Amino acid sequence: MKRKKVKALLFTGMLAVSALLAGCSKDKDMDGKTVIELVQYKPEAVEIFENLAQEFNSTHEDIYLKVESPNDAMTILKTRFIREDYPDIIGIGGDINYSYFVDSEILADISDYEGLKKIKQAYIDILEGLEFVPTDGIYGVPYVANAAGVLYNRQMFQEHGWQIPKTWDELMQLCEQIKNAGIQPFYFGFKDTWTCLAPWNALAVDLAPSDVCKQVNRGDTTFKKEYSEIPDKMLSLLQYGQNSPFAYGYNDACIAFARGEAAMFTIGSYAVPQIKSGNPELDIDSFVMPGSNQAEENVLNSGVDLQFCITKECKNKEAAYKVLDFLLSHDMVQMYLDEQMAVPCVNEQFQLASILDGMKEYIEEGRMYDYQDHYYPSEMAVDAQIQTFLIEKDVDKFLEKFDRDWLRYNRDIIQKVKDYEKSQGK
Amino acid sequence: MKKYGEKVNWPITILLILGLITVAFPLYMTIMIAFKQPSEMTNNIHGILSFPKSWSLENFKEAMRVTDFWNSLGNSIFITLLTVVVSILIHSLIGYAIGRNKDHSKFYKISYLYIVSGMFVPFAILMMPLVKQTAQIGLDNMAGVIILYVVFYMPMNVLLYTGYLKNIPIALEEAAKVDGASTWRTYWSIIFPLMKPMHATVAVLTALGTWNDVMTPLVIMSGSGKNTLPLAQLNFQTQFGTNYNLAFASYLLAMLPILIFYIICQKQILSGVVNGAVK
Amino acid sequence: MKKINDRQRTFLMITIPILILFFCFNTLPLIKGVIYSFTNFKGYGSYDWVGIRNYIDLFQDSRVGKSYLFTFKLAVVATIIVNVLSLILALGLNSKIKFKSTLRGLYFIPNILGALVVGYIFNYFFTYILPEFSKMIGGSGDSILASTKWAWVAIVLVCAWQSIAMNTIIYISGLQTVPEDVYEAGSIDGATGFAKFKNLTFPLILPFFTINMVLCMKNFLMVFDQIMALTKGGPAQSTESISYLIYNNGMSGGQFGFQSANAVIFFIVIVVISIFQMNFLGNKEEQL
Repeated sequence: MKRKKVKALLFTGMLAVSALLAGCSKDKDMDGKTVIELVQYKPEAVEIFENLAQEFNSTHEDIYLKVESPNDAMTILKTRFIREDYPDIIGIGGDINYSYFVDSEILADISDYEGLKKIKQAYIDILEGLEFVPTDGIYGVPYVANAAGVLYNRQMFQEHGWQIPKTWDELMQLCEQIKNAGIQPFYFGFKDTWTCLAPWNALAVDLAPSDVCKQVNRGDTTFKKEYSEIPDKMLSLLQYGQNSPFAYGYNDACIAFARGEAAMFTIGSYAVPQIKSGNPELDIDSFVMPGSNQAEENVLNSGVDLQFCITKECKNKEAAYKVLDFLLSHDMVQMYLDEQMAVPCVNEQFQLASILDGMKEYIEEGRMYDYQDHYYPSEMAVDAQIQTFLIEKDVDKFLEKFDRDWLRYNRDIIQKVKDYEKSQGK
Repeated sequence: MKKYGEKVNWPITILLILGLITVAFPLYMTIMIAFKQPSEMTNNIHGILSFPKSWSLENFKEAMRVTDFWNSLGNSIFITLLTVVVSILIHSLIGYAIGRNKDHSKFYKISYLYIVSGMFVPFAILMMPLVKQTAQIGLDNMAGVIILYVVFYMPMNVLLYTGYLKNIPIALEEAAKVDGASTWRTYWSIIFPLMKPMHATVAVLTALGTWNDVMTPLVIMSGSGKNTLPLAQLNFQTQFGTNYNLAFASYLLAMLPILIFYIICQKQILSGVVNGAVK
Repeated sequence: MKKINDRQRTFLMITIPILILFFCFNTLPLIKGVIYSFTNFKGYGSYDWVGIRNYIDLFQDSRVGKSYLFTFKLAVVATIIVNVLSLILALGLNSKIKFKSTLRGLYFIPNILGALVVGYIFNYFFTYILPEFSKMIGGSGDSILASTKWAWVAIVLVCAWQSIAMNTIIYISGLQTVPEDVYEAGSIDGATGFAKFKNLTFPLILPFFTINMVLCMKNFLMVFDQIMALTKGGPAQSTESISYLIYNNGMSGGQFGFQSANAVIFFIVIVVISIFQMNFLGNKEEQL
């Protein structure tokens, strides 16, 4: 009896010691090399980043690039920030989290980085626009953008001779046509609330000023006024969706669209790899959401999908810049574009994926605005509010709540903006 | 019991067997989907619930590769085992110290209430401060997760041990004391072995809780590159979102170890749970 | 005299380090959480003191209010359903049946499985299989997870499916403590069926009823994994439980300070309910 216990204790002790040892030896085997740790948030890009890291490490002697693509990366990044354990480079989207990170002074100013000259100014401006109050520095290198609008089944469109709509009325006529042909116009995945934001954003860039959130923060206008057209148009789209659109999630919608159960899908280019995994043969193209009846008012909804930021705590900024140089090199960007069907932020000639054919001219002309939801605080849960509205169908209630909640959730930011304006005014 | 006549109550037996459908159906569904290929999944009940064309293990191989099954399994076993061992050693000790004194000492009475009331603290409020705290002292790893579990299960286990201690007459210890044995020795040689049924209960309840937990390893171990089995499932959700067959193969894999363990130790587990309830 | 001191010293040497451990990883973070509830902390970066603003907001926030209503509705309904069903099941499993231990073993299986994975499986069931069944009997074929009226029922079902196992086992062990001669005395008085259960069996297993009520209520009030796997709080925010809201807005969102305040209130509510339950049911036990 006693012997057994001693054994158990010894065993336990051994396990504990080995666990501790394993913890310590983690970063030591990189004899003399500078280790640069990159954490990126896109789960669908895991393999590309593994390839990139391999390529980098085989061509660089003095730097070792360590890439991590954890699940639920945003939560994990935040928990790592909480414990003040900063990676050197983070790959995140250009959304409100970036605004928070800039505001919290976690990121380093990289305006001295040479590679920024290669980046299209439009995207650097988008990032600037995300800062709550203007700063002097630049805190991110935009890498690729995505574009949202309507994806459509090209083969199906060709068979029936359907035309790409340029205005809202044309879109509605098209939906009728598709419906009369016995095909489902749209398939929605509204069980996952964030998918409600895709058509919302695409309509909002056409119908509301691009800086509406900042205008509201300054107290110049209200959402009720600026967003007035969007809710009705959302409801019109909903009519042409499948039965019970709130029963199915994003994955279900991707599968259904891949199988040809619907002609169109209101989502961004980022969904294409997911759709293709359900049907690699599918010929997908896209068009810009025609939210307005004035064709020239309709613009592309495009935002920074992936950007690289260097944290303030990064010990070796030069090495980090070298990693960025590598990532921004022509071949690496092209490889990324081929895999992810994204839009490059680098100002060079690239081969774009065919799914972007319908959006190409907008991209080249720079007729695009950022996603509105990149300005929405995540805890306000605008996506869930839109879903609620689509179920209840009460426009006034929805927009009034939107305005009310906005003031509450952005109270500190609004205060900050006011203070800033005051200090500028003097 | 036998006094009531030996007649088996068949209607109830049959009703109970029929009732098992509610338990079996979800498991049956999981197995069927896990073995199928996406092309076999037509959009009707027959397509989902019929037998697969072939019982191929392809889905499982792929699921094991993605979730890094053996490593995740190893981590889960390591964490659960160590948590259980440490919990039994520490919780029985504190349960003993408190149980023997709480009726006549205010200090122990308060300690008892203090620890047991920890049962009502929602994890949500501890989470963020704990993340910070464990990182500061270098415990953002499996060791930290184990320590946290030992603390989280302390209230319940102390309640169980002190309750059970009432059944062990203090006279036993006094006899040993007369023989000159210290309290410490008396505890390990007499009381600890006597509490064996309660150790089993504590082991079962603690193990069931830690094995299936997602939250604690998620927030504490994130970034260490190590997964537990449930954590790997979370991973799976995003990576193979469109392939339900692969996902279900992975669910089945996640449930299998504990199911096998349960089948082997069913008797001990059930009696352990019962003990916990009767205390 | 000296002996007793030795004994006391041993006890103290056991108790104090463990109390310190408990304090460090339970009470200390709790205190920190309370402190954060007076800030606008996002979880990282800088933050400001905001006094009791979070608490004032909390009582005006309709989303928080809704989550409390939802959580209580869920907990009460699930507790009742689970206790009724597991009591019936326990009576069945405790009667003279064939394959007794096998049946008990099989009925316990749901309890050992992880709530997250079970939730994922039921999610598929509610989305794809149940609507097909409902179509077969002439229903609309809508998923109940998509309905603001019925989604919570799905969550109750999944919670119940898993918890019935544990409660049944507890009731069975309770039934086994009922001595045989009680029934004999009862049958002389002519007590049968439900009357026998109500007047003889139930009062004797009341302590087990108390345990089950308290455990169930506490677990269901903290419901999280099921929500995460089934609805993520939807549709239309109709199934946001308190724990889900605290995690989602506090951890992933930037509301850590505010949700800490929510967690503090939630903690108080749980303690009050548990004490009330134990006192109320405890009094009843003593009366008998």
